[in-house]
Amino acid sequence: MSVGDILLALALGFVFGWVLDKGGLNRYYKIANVFRFTDLTVLRFMMMGMAVGMVGIYTLKYFGLVDLTAVSATVLAGNLIGGAIFGVGMSLSGF
Amino acid sequence: MKWLLRQLRKDLWSPEVAGVGLGLVYVFALWLSHRAPGASGTFFNAAAIVGKPLTASDPANQFFVVTFPPLTEGLGWQFWMLVGIFLGALASVLIAGKFKWTLVPIEQWKDVFGPSVRKRWIVAFVGGIFLQIGAGIAGGCTSGLALAGGVQLSPAAFLFIPGIFISGALVQLLVYRERY
Repeated sequence: MSVGDILLALALGFVFGWVLDKGGLNRYYKIANVFRFTDLTVLRFMMMGMAVGMVGIYTLKYFGLVDLTAVSATVLAGNLIGGAIFGVGMSLSGF
Repeated sequence: MKWLLRQLRKDLWSPEVAGVGLGLVYVFALWLSHRAPGASGTFFNAAAIVGKPLTASDPANQFFVVTFPPLTEGLGWQFWMLVGIFLGALASVLIAGKFKWTLVPIEQWKDVFGPSVRKRWIVAFVGGIFLQIGAGIAGGCTSGLALAGGVQLSPAAFLFIPGIFISGALVQLLVYRERY
């Protein structure tokens, strides 16, 4: 870990934390209500992020600037059941 | 310039605008650091640093040897990113003028669970256990699997997200009952 790496991680994290707060993702009711389907802020935020990310990353990939190595393994039951357990915690605590 | 200042002082942005920022974080993280942002890994690493010496005497217990060995470089990149997330969110609320110390977060919780501070902390703690176990089984959390996998079109993310919503909706059905 060089100092440059740490500064980059801090800077990216800073923007990440900033948009999470501005999106309202750190509020209990935003997380709780997306599971009640009364406030879709979380979905709108995440889908927009994913859409921008997909286009950006695949554009960079086209120019050979990124390689898609940092992907978690796909295990049908593992991802689904893990997600279901994760959802209990997310829904209950609102984090 | 005035417009920019007004935007920075806003409590909330439109989720779509904030979402563009989120997407750009992932693009730049993958481009400049060749890593995708994630949060739950840091907690596994912290557990591995403590857990590996504790389980070393039992040769049958290979979890911290094979499955999740502690990173040799210490807490690493994700840890510094978490520090950055904390600072970014802090700066956001400070500039918006919304900073305050509070134990029980917001109204809706009080309507459903009552005003007890202890109850909030217990539910948060138990929920946190579920979050970390689920993240461990699935291979990441909302940031490290759903988003990092999603932007790279990994099938894992698109299995994980429905999983969250199936159980999340059921839990809210139990919690809110007729108010759902």
